[in-house]
Amino acid sequence: MVVPEHLVSNLFYGALLGSVYGVATMGLSLIFGVLRIVNVGHGAFIMLGAFTAFWMFTLYSVIPILSIPIALIFGLALGFVIFYSTIKRLIDAPELSTLLATFAIGIFIEEVAKFVWGSDYVGFSWNIGTLYLGPITVPYTKLLAFVCSAAIAGLLYIWFTRTKLGTAIRAVVEDREGAMVCGINVGRIYSVSFAIGIGLTVLSGVLVTLFVPVGINVYMGPDYTLKGFVIAVLGGLGSPWGAFIAGFLFGLFENGSYTILGMIPGVEPFALTRFVAFVFLLIILLLKPTGLLGGE
Amino acid sequence: MNLRAYKPLIPMMAVYAILIAIALSVEGMWQPVAYFMFYIALGQAFNIFLGLTGYVDFGYVAFLGLGAYGMGIAIQNFSHLGVIAIPIGIVLAVMMSVLLSLAVGAVALRLRGAYFAIATIGVNEGFRYLVEGVRLWGGTEGMILSGFMRKTFGREMTNFFSTFLADVLVIIVAFSAAVATIAILNRKMGYALLALREDEDAAKVMGINVTKYKIMAFITSAGFAGLIGATAWTLKLTYIFPEDVFNIHYTVEAIVIVMLGGAGTLLGPMIGGLIYGLMKYYLSVTFPGIQLLILAPILIAIVVAFPDGLMGYIKKKTRNSPLSEYLR
Repeated sequence: MVVPEHLVSNLFYGALLGSVYGVATMGLSLIFGVLRIVNVGHGAFIMLGAFTAFWMFTLYSVIPILSIPIALIFGLALGFVIFYSTIKRLIDAPELSTLLATFAIGIFIEEVAKFVWGSDYVGFSWNIGTLYLGPITVPYTKLLAFVCSAAIAGLLYIWFTRTKLGTAIRAVVEDREGAMVCGINVGRIYSVSFAIGIGLTVLSGVLVTLFVPVGINVYMGPDYTLKGFVIAVLGGLGSPWGAFIAGFLFGLFENGSYTILGMIPGVEPFALTRFVAFVFLLIILLLKPTGLLGGE
Repeated sequence: MNLRAYKPLIPMMAVYAILIAIALSVEGMWQPVAYFMFYIALGQAFNIFLGLTGYVDFGYVAFLGLGAYGMGIAIQNFSHLGVIAIPIGIVLAVMMSVLLSLAVGAVALRLRGAYFAIATIGVNEGFRYLVEGVRLWGGTEGMILSGFMRKTFGREMTNFFSTFLADVLVIIVAFSAAVATIAILNRKMGYALLALREDEDAAKVMGINVTKYKIMAFITSAGFAGLIGATAWTLKLTYIFPEDVFNIHYTVEAIVIVMLGGAGTLLGPMIGGLIYGLMKYYLSVTFPGIQLLILAPILIAIVVAFPDGLMGYIKKKTRNSPLSEYLR
């Protein structure tokens, strides 16, 4: 049987990619958890991260792993700028305003990027050898992406649970007014969380390039936004940890489903996988809006 | 029927008359005006749901998409009946989008705020990928009807459909949606929806059947969306591609129009649609390729500075003046 072997290696890839999805969605969930704002322009920030990795590699031969801190700092700065210029005024605005504003920010970033970089597909290849594991062959770069994603998620977890600022952010997610009563400067938490959320998202764009080496384009974002929604809902909107685990599951699901649906004649496995994902999204939203992994 | 309550339709009719007069008298203006009318219709239809209930349906374009497919299916299957295929298509378009709205409304309208927005994005994208995934209605290759229509209706008739009839129908749809809006505003339903928009739980406690009115507004809005899809897309463009008719950009454009003009007002979508259409049309003529770059900051500025929209501002200024009877 060829199929199971194929499935095993695809699932393995899915797990690696899923960890990157997880990091890519943590920012979305964090921003929703703290500010109650759905960032509809999410994908544009992933695109910025991907281009950061691309330009650092092609211009200065900086390997993508070293671009991670650069992307993080870039994203943090961008997050603060966007927060103080726009988001700050919209914190208690109805969804209508925040959805439209974040979408417009996304378009603006895409269009500026297109103006500067053009709309062609670009890519780079960073080759450091391949690992052979029985039926599975996997480039070291992808393993490295997995290790980095897990490390980032781990560090973030420690930061959220062990530091004062991290605890304060969790308090605001839990109960805004309560946190305020406890003397937490909620305004500062908003700006810091938004910046961290954007920083994480831009950073994840760097990791994404290790999986789509030639798929870097200014309009690559919306696809990740939609995946981000499915993953965020799966993990429980507003829970970054849930998002990381859900991203992992989504990676497994995506590649597994793609392989299995590919065996049915007369269908487009790629599109149908997405369809199944959105059906899941609806079911979870209706039956358990706190997410598969979330509690209350 | 209290005719005085319908006075705000007078300024609207005046604007429509001016637009139609320009379109018919000035050479080369018919197409731009048709373009503006599409946006006015889109805003007017979406306003019935978004403006009146305050729920953000981020997958609204799915109703336009289904309407477009309804018309496409009718043209493909009933062309042996001749021109009758068009009214059949219109009925089918409304039926399909209303059915979808019933299904979505029954389940998704339990959710609120951001959860509702995400669920509706899911419906729209899910539908698109279903069409592409199981190669429904041509799948990614879409429906290309121009050759087929020329063969069955004749070249002249097809041209007449796509360059004149479709536009006239869009104008009629826009106006009908406006009439529906004011009819709702003047009835108990309008007041119930106002209460719902302000505070859903309080409205429920007061004994208002919020679910019923929400779904009614949703279905009405979706039906008009189906009509727009059938006329402004299938009949006018003579092709349907899933990635076009389920494109989230149209939902966002509709939100922009409603917000720009003033959500929940009667004249707002017309003003918003006109301004948005004019901006987009002339920006793409004068700055081709970078129109979105200019439009995006304008949008952000509007959201931050004028959340009530132009009509909200005008209404505030004209309160207690004799003019206020005509503005709503």
